[in-house]
Amino acid sequence: MNILRFLFLIPFLVICNSLTAENDTVFTPSARLGADLSGFARNLIEPETLTGEISLDIEWRKSHFVAIEAGLMQVDVQQETHRYQADGYFFRLGADFNILERSPDNPNDVLLVSLRYGYGKSDHEAPFIVIPDPYWGDHETSVSPESFQAHWLEAGIGLKTEIWNNIFLGWSLRGKLLLTSTSAPEMEPYYIGGYGKSGSNTRLSLLYSVLYRIPMR
Amino acid sequence: MQTPAPRFPHGRQWMIITLAALLFVPVACQEDEVCEEVTANDLRIGFYPFDNDEWWATIDSLLVFTLEKPDTPVHDTLYQVSILELPLNTNADSCSFIIDFFETRDTLWLEYQRETHLISVECGFTMFFTLTNIEFTENYIEGLVIEEPYVTNSLDEHITIFVPDTLPGDL
Repeated sequence: MNILRFLFLIPFLVICNSLTAENDTVFTPSARLGADLSGFARNLIEPETLTGEISLDIEWRKSHFVAIEAGLMQVDVQQETHRYQADGYFFRLGADFNILERSPDNPNDVLLVSLRYGYGKSDHEAPFIVIPDPYWGDHETSVSPESFQAHWLEAGIGLKTEIWNNIFLGWSLRGKLLLTSTSAPEMEPYYIGGYGKSGSNTRLSLLYSVLYRIPMR
Repeated sequence: MQTPAPRFPHGRQWMIITLAALLFVPVACQEDEVCEEVTANDLRIGFYPFDNDEWWATIDSLLVFTLEKPDTPVHDTLYQVSILELPLNTNADSCSFIIDFFETRDTLWLEYQRETHLISVECGFTMFFTLTNIEFTENYIEGLVIEEPYVTNSLDEHITIFVPDTLPGDL
């Protein structure tokens, strides 16, 4: 897989980092604990898919963050001719870089450039299948539970802003590149937790989060 | 008096501007989930003049039924036939077809392996087949070749049947 596509981001990140010329206050390490709201919002549009996700980011050096995101996903599609179910977990590891000049009024607001590695593992099955056959008669069958895994990379931009006393709202727009996905050929996964719908090696997604900042000193 | 230089918008302004714009993204990116794919995978037979697989042969008329359901034709009388599509039995690993050319008849016995395949959660499942063996009578048919053993949702011709020389059809 062509990971080299992401190399163009390196000089961009270096420039962004140099632009965050912060010559003011003493740096205070902090962590943010967050919960993603986009999974619940998506569930309103696509009721067959439900994902829940939490995140933790730590500002270990001024404007440099390490981030971990983890979550669960569940799919249940019930149609007249079939039922498809899947459940699994996923996580992402990576880093964020703040490119926003910090104001004295809102010193904790950040505009972030993000890079992530993602991994997801799920089980899926089709306990009820009818294949219509007008001549020979409908065929009824099922597919037993099978596991599949996926690895992907993400690059994106996002914002976290303090709305009230260490409570933040944030969004992150992510471009995703699927590296590998393993599954039985008869049933490709419908949805990869943390990545999105399968069937394409690239995806664009949006995360909305509510976060709590934990001062570490 | 010196005018202050415009400042880069800060977090809350960015949040309001971008969140308002991004709220439209999920709606705009929502995919049409109507199933438009073909879910039946018929065996596709091309008729060709004997010793010539460049041009299709055209059969004036034919009728197809099965040994298993002799009273229910698969195809009632078809005219000017160069390509014939037959549904393989999704409930068994073999089936047979009788092709009635009106002056004479031939029978095909087909053996295959079946594999359930998910098209999409919107369209559901279909059956893919792998042809393993074909026996046939040679009353009108002069030869048969399996060109593509995998019967999936592609538009390939799976079998070539050679028949006595007739008026060539179009390519």
